[in-house]
Amino acid sequence: MTMNRRAFLKAGAGASGGLMLSLSLPGCAGIQTGYEPETGEWKPDAWLELTQDDEIYFTLARVEMGQGTYTGLTTLIAEELEVAPAAITPRFAPAAPEYRNPLYKLQLTGGSTSIATSWEPLRTAGASAREMLKLAAARIWKVEAEACTVRDGHVLHPNGIDSLRYGQLVELASKEVIRGEVALKPRSEWKLIGKQGNRLDARAKSTGTAEYGIDVELPGQVYAVVTRSPRYGGRVRSFNGDEVRAMPGVVDVVEIERGVAVVADKYWRARKAQTALSVSWDFSDALSLSTSDVFEGYRKAADEDPGESERSEGDFDDASKAASTVFSAEYAQPYLAHATLEPMNATAWYQGDRAEVWAPTQAPDLGQIAVARVTDLSPGDVTIHTTFLGGGFGRRLTQDFIEEAAAVSFKIGKPVKVIWSREEDTRHDLFRPAMLHRMKASLADGKLTGWHHQIVGPQILDWYVRNAAPAQYPWAPKFLYNSLGSAGLMFEGIATPRDMSAIEGAIEYPYGVGNIDIRHTHTDPGVPVTWWRSVGFSHNGFAVETFMDELAHEAGEDPYQFRRKLLADEPRHREVLDRAARLAGWGEPLAEGRARGIALFRSFGTHVAQVVEAGIEHGEIRVYRVACAVDCGQVVNPRIVEDQIEGGILFGLTAALYGEITLEQGEVQQSNFHDYRLMRQYERPEVTVDIVDSEAAPTGVGEPGVPPVIPALGNALFALTGQRQRSLPLTADV
Amino acid sequence: MAVSLTVNGVERKLDVEGDTPLLWVIRDELGLKGTKFGCGAGLCGACTVHLNGQPVRSCSTPVELAAGAQVTTIEGLGDQDRLHALQAAWIEQGVPQCGYCQSGQIMSAAHLLASNPSPSRNDIVNAMTGNICRCGTYSRIIAAVESVAAGSRPDQQEGA
Repeated sequence: MTMNRRAFLKAGAGASGGLMLSLSLPGCAGIQTGYEPETGEWKPDAWLELTQDDEIYFTLARVEMGQGTYTGLTTLIAEELEVAPAAITPRFAPAAPEYRNPLYKLQLTGGSTSIATSWEPLRTAGASAREMLKLAAARIWKVEAEACTVRDGHVLHPNGIDSLRYGQLVELASKEVIRGEVALKPRSEWKLIGKQGNRLDARAKSTGTAEYGIDVELPGQVYAVVTRSPRYGGRVRSFNGDEVRAMPGVVDVVEIERGVAVVADKYWRARKAQTALSVSWDFSDALSLSTSDVFEGYRKAADEDPGESERSEGDFDDASKAASTVFSAEYAQPYLAHATLEPMNATAWYQGDRAEVWAPTQAPDLGQIAVARVTDLSPGDVTIHTTFLGGGFGRRLTQDFIEEAAAVSFKIGKPVKVIWSREEDTRHDLFRPAMLHRMKASLADGKLTGWHHQIVGPQILDWYVRNAAPAQYPWAPKFLYNSLGSAGLMFEGIATPRDMSAIEGAIEYPYGVGNIDIRHTHTDPGVPVTWWRSVGFSHNGFAVETFMDELAHEAGEDPYQFRRKLLADEPRHREVLDRAARLAGWGEPLAEGRARGIALFRSFGTHVAQVVEAGIEHGEIRVYRVACAVDCGQVVNPRIVEDQIEGGILFGLTAALYGEITLEQGEVQQSNFHDYRLMRQYERPEVTVDIVDSEAAPTGVGEPGVPPVIPALGNALFALTGQRQRSLPLTADV
Repeated sequence: MAVSLTVNGVERKLDVEGDTPLLWVIRDELGLKGTKFGCGAGLCGACTVHLNGQPVRSCSTPVELAAGAQVTTIEGLGDQDRLHALQAAWIEQGVPQCGYCQSGQIMSAAHLLASNPSPSRNDIVNAMTGNICRCGTYSRIIAAVESVAAGSRPDQQEGA
């Protein structure tokens, strides 16, 4: 089935690509721009607003979930507008076509794309406003605009004496027209980009004043908690609503598609009443498998279906026949939860002809679809107010939390805040897929001659397209939503982005090996999955870089040098590998009981190499140091780059050491931080990050720190113990 | 039940069920949203406040146990005109990423410095280990606490 879909895609792309592209252009007008005489506000474009009082507002269309868009994107505007970043007030964007992520044609924050996709447009927005302000001042002074300069929110007269504030110029500037392309500042004139810069949200987040979704409070608001099927896909058969309705503070008990909601005047009363709720479930369509069944199914699928070819060079079979050794290994990786520290929540208010939602979401336009699905409204009737996000990591790309709040508000007609408990957040997550990898390599006289990688598991788009496809066509009638979902899969790559989630990182195998065969066996056991920080790179990184380590050992070579020799045509890979090795003192003696492991992985356009120094103490794995080299092109804010890379390393180590969601007969076995453990302060390794000074176009940093650290730790443990671990999480009991 | 407690120096009288966790009283009855809900089980520390000067997990502290007590939350640690030294350090060091855990982190650090103005590196690590940060801001937290601690000396950390 997958093969057919892909085949169709390839055949149809040329013929219908233009038509499909034109269909996906926004059809309705979005943000009003121009000058508003009554308020004295000038909106030169969808992002900026300048007022007569010298206030500058910037509409931030990429949500702030810790990765630093609030600071980084504001810096791009500030650089060209010639103001201090702190002089700009960012505002979270509503859902509107102007704010879509050009890579996805949806208003998504994800894929480490915010800086890369904003780099040109936002600097251009800032520069355009600046030039219009200059033109306005030049007209007043009757001088050439090119002779005027700008500094710190003022346009300066060529005479070096007179100046005008931006606020004095906004009305006139709004009438100016820029002819031709606006010039961006050359690198030599940058004052902000590439320099250390404080985070603009640090104060609010250090004083408890930053507003997250869970902090939203509306007049007359009630609280809902939802009891969901303990097994995915179960349906409500009956429940003791009357009994629960009689409990203190309970406003109502209502059935929604996803379960039974207990609504009360206070959160704690809703929780207490929930303990008295007894739901009888119809499990006829529910998940019933266990984790062992998942992997058994993967192995069977791998045996029966070699998978669709995703990259093929030379002839792997010929290389194997000529080889002195064909080495193979199988790697298994578990389901993983996101565990954002702010649990899922949303506040929705259905008001008859419209609805408003306040939520920490990574995809406000998908939130509109989620509301439309469960109410009698169209997406255009739904306003989404995005808040700060207490972590995202891909979890908040799926809008189930908004859907629940909207469904309850629609039923009871009041503003409703739904808060998930930690246990609910863990059990009803959509997971990083469990994956299986089968690897084969041919070695001839110690030289790697062939590489074969079979990836076995689901694709995330299959789970995501339900709301993503309708969000691209918000005017489509609701009865078409499900068929739009199917069409989205059918036209994957045209109507919806090509789903790389299973294969990304594997198909970009960088090592100079002549015969390469990379395949994906598409099989989906029905466990809900979604994007998880670094997505497919997270599992392909482990498989590729662990196997490379195994091959180095097989070939009797140093794992750093083994990789290095195969990277003659990949200077950026080689540079970060060399830097990480140097930073870690690769090859230098270590204290007794410690060992190093190395790994290299490019993801989201960013090259990252890491060396982990680890040991085993008191029956637990200890990670002492991580030396990391990064090439992410032009750096906007070095401190945030360091933070994101270090944060990614700790996120990856958490997965490598502890991360595992298991199922028993359809039920998730983990619930809270005691059995879904997160790395703590005392476990933190000393992380050193070396950033390559580059003028190349900027690439992402939110995710690329994650993938290499997992195999690097595994490789260090192999060096320490001589035992190779081929499944995650890693263990000290070897 | 009627409960009286002093929050950030102001006496508050409330009518709430005695088993309501202090967290939800602070957040929803008193409207102080800086204290966060993370796990509901005292495992993550996002809800840390001071109860009579001691750090407690407010998600697991029934309000009846706080009756008559002094409660300090992140909002009462400093004020917008005069931040607590740790808050200033948090801003200067750029500690927060998503920021959700940071109120709890700062409350734990504030108790540490109030009881031990010159903590060693190990003292800081031990005091901060109950507070989870999913974004991984741990090294900046250490730097921020050390920048405030009197005569702080990074001692030989295990493994360093």
